[in-house]
Amino acid sequence: MEKILQVKDLELSFNTFAGEVKAIRGVNFDLYKGETLAIVGESGSGKSVTTKSIMRLLPEHSAEFKNGEILFGGRDLTRLTDKEMQKIRGKEIAMIFQDPMTSLNPTMPIGRQLTEPLLKHQKISKAEAKKVAIDLLRLVGMPKPELRMKQYPHQFSGGQRQRIVIAISLACNPQILIADEPTTALDVTIQAQILELMKDLQKKIDTSIIFITHDLGVVANVADRVAVMYGGKIVEIGTVDEIFYNPQHPYTWGLLSSMPSLDAEDAKLYAIPGTPPDLLSPPKGDAFALRSEYALQIDMEQNPPFFKVSDSHYAATWLLHPDAPRVEPPATVIERMKKFPGSRYYEGSRV
Amino acid sequence: MAEKLLEIKNLKQHFNVGKANEVRAVDDISFDIYKGETLGLVGESGCGKSTTGRSIIRLYDATSGDVFFEGENVHGKKSKKDLKKFNRKMQMIFQDPYASLNPRMKVMDIVAEGIDIHGLAKNPAERKKMVFDLLETVGLNKEHANRYPHEFSGGQRQRLGIARALAVDPDFIIADEPISALDVSIQAQVVNLLKELQEEKGLTYLFIAHDLSMVKYISDRIGVMYFGKLVELAPAEDLYKNPMHPYTQSLLSAIPLPDPDYERNRVRKSYDPAVHSYAEGEDVQMREITPGHFVHCSVREFESLKATASRV
Repeated sequence: MEKILQVKDLELSFNTFAGEVKAIRGVNFDLYKGETLAIVGESGSGKSVTTKSIMRLLPEHSAEFKNGEILFGGRDLTRLTDKEMQKIRGKEIAMIFQDPMTSLNPTMPIGRQLTEPLLKHQKISKAEAKKVAIDLLRLVGMPKPELRMKQYPHQFSGGQRQRIVIAISLACNPQILIADEPTTALDVTIQAQILELMKDLQKKIDTSIIFITHDLGVVANVADRVAVMYGGKIVEIGTVDEIFYNPQHPYTWGLLSSMPSLDAEDAKLYAIPGTPPDLLSPPKGDAFALRSEYALQIDMEQNPPFFKVSDSHYAATWLLHPDAPRVEPPATVIERMKKFPGSRYYEGSRV
Repeated sequence: MAEKLLEIKNLKQHFNVGKANEVRAVDDISFDIYKGETLGLVGESGCGKSTTGRSIIRLYDATSGDVFFEGENVHGKKSKKDLKKFNRKMQMIFQDPYASLNPRMKVMDIVAEGIDIHGLAKNPAERKKMVFDLLETVGLNKEHANRYPHEFSGGQRQRLGIARALAVDPDFIIADEPISALDVSIQAQVVNLLKELQEEKGLTYLFIAHDLSMVKYISDRIGVMYFGKLVELAPAEDLYKNPMHPYTQSLLSAIPLPDPDYERNRVRKSYDPAVHSYAEGEDVQMREITPGHFVHCSVREFESLKATASRV
């Protein structure tokens, strides 16, 4: 498959009054054409910062690229000038933000907001842009698009606004669409509609999507591949089945078991103890070691490299080292592993 | 059947009454809350679930209807003294732990505010001890008492909100989306804490949320609201296994679960209120289909639901 974006050894820090916050500490991933890569992790794990650094939306005076490159179409995005970046932003890489209430301009009719990227990036007339905009609204399922063009954001509901934001982001047929928690502010029923819409549109125009969320249910729904972030690093990456049915990193285990399931009668919910690490002074070894009951001595001293589980599945935990002791994952995770051919708990064929 | 702690009867909460933009946020709902149980209230935003909670605790004066707490009416004319008595028995935990704590007050004073108002501590030393004990109960420690809210993480702040609610030793706590602002791993910590406290102190909860999997986990019974009306009320397990109202079915079918195989096969149902085709003036109300399982339906629907239920 064709790689459309490569992030290599990315390190980024914020210079604050309190000191240097190492928000991203060596992130590597590839994005393939037409796929959806979900990035999950708790707040402060660096998932939003990673994507904002791809879009170069971080404040220049405090955010600093320390190392690494972001390769897109043969160019390193970390080294482009603002002018060059403006040609990419909104045209080749577009972004959908979490809060549809604040990401639209309240003083502009939505028609003008829709035609803005078209007029900026494509050489077309205003009348043509208007036609394209109406088509876009129709594409995202907005009834009476001609009439709606003249209305202001406050005249739309939350779900409709998110549809408009999606329409704007798709205006120039971007190669990459970054969606930063696009459904977190929405109700489940509206969320389901938006997710279906995004999947439909992806099939139609074949963009690659980076989908940031902390809702594992949403991940299972939309993702082809999943990257789990913790403490400014990717700790596990693999296909959606590999992450949900054969997870290897203790943090992934913790995430999966802290979600109550709808059918199981759980006595007590598993809670990951403690709080995320302070990235002002990140821990020396594995950032998750202090919260993990599976931590080994080496976790405190040395950061684990990526161990290969399969061609598409890598996890950064010393537990995968040949010399590591064998540990039993939590019961709910073993239940999941039973469904996965190739895991050591596999039980017969999947239903 | 367990003892009723709270009876809500025909509660209505309308805003802008008589104007063109009248909103019937809560429109004639009735239910009971039993001692020691957790009643979950779910529905999409704007369906009136938070308003219901706020009307019960009298943050709003109800348009009409009654709320009986241990047989006494909460609404209606009350002297300051009587109200104070209710306020001590009913407490609330709010959604946003960032906005619900006064940033200029120290934790000690935030938690002790209720203690001071109700005069529960005889002297400063006792007050201090009560606050320290409360902080310990919610999993913080006494060193935290001299800090300000901004020095805490979201999960810790929600623990402070819980400590503050517990300070006056209430019987009943309304938790209005207490975990939706928190991360998944922290949500589990707070939910476990709420459950432990309930067992220890015999608390009764009204748990308002839109995260249905968490609601099912914590609740004994669940009420589903749609546009100001309660459309279904049933034991938690029963509601998920056998949803009867089409809106509940649509809501449940929309929840994504962390299971890719399930997600590939999930079929979403959509809800159209027109399916009921109620006639003008038809008697639509909550009716008990199976023991403890109530559905908002007409006589005609009641018969068919009952027939379906008896076949299962």
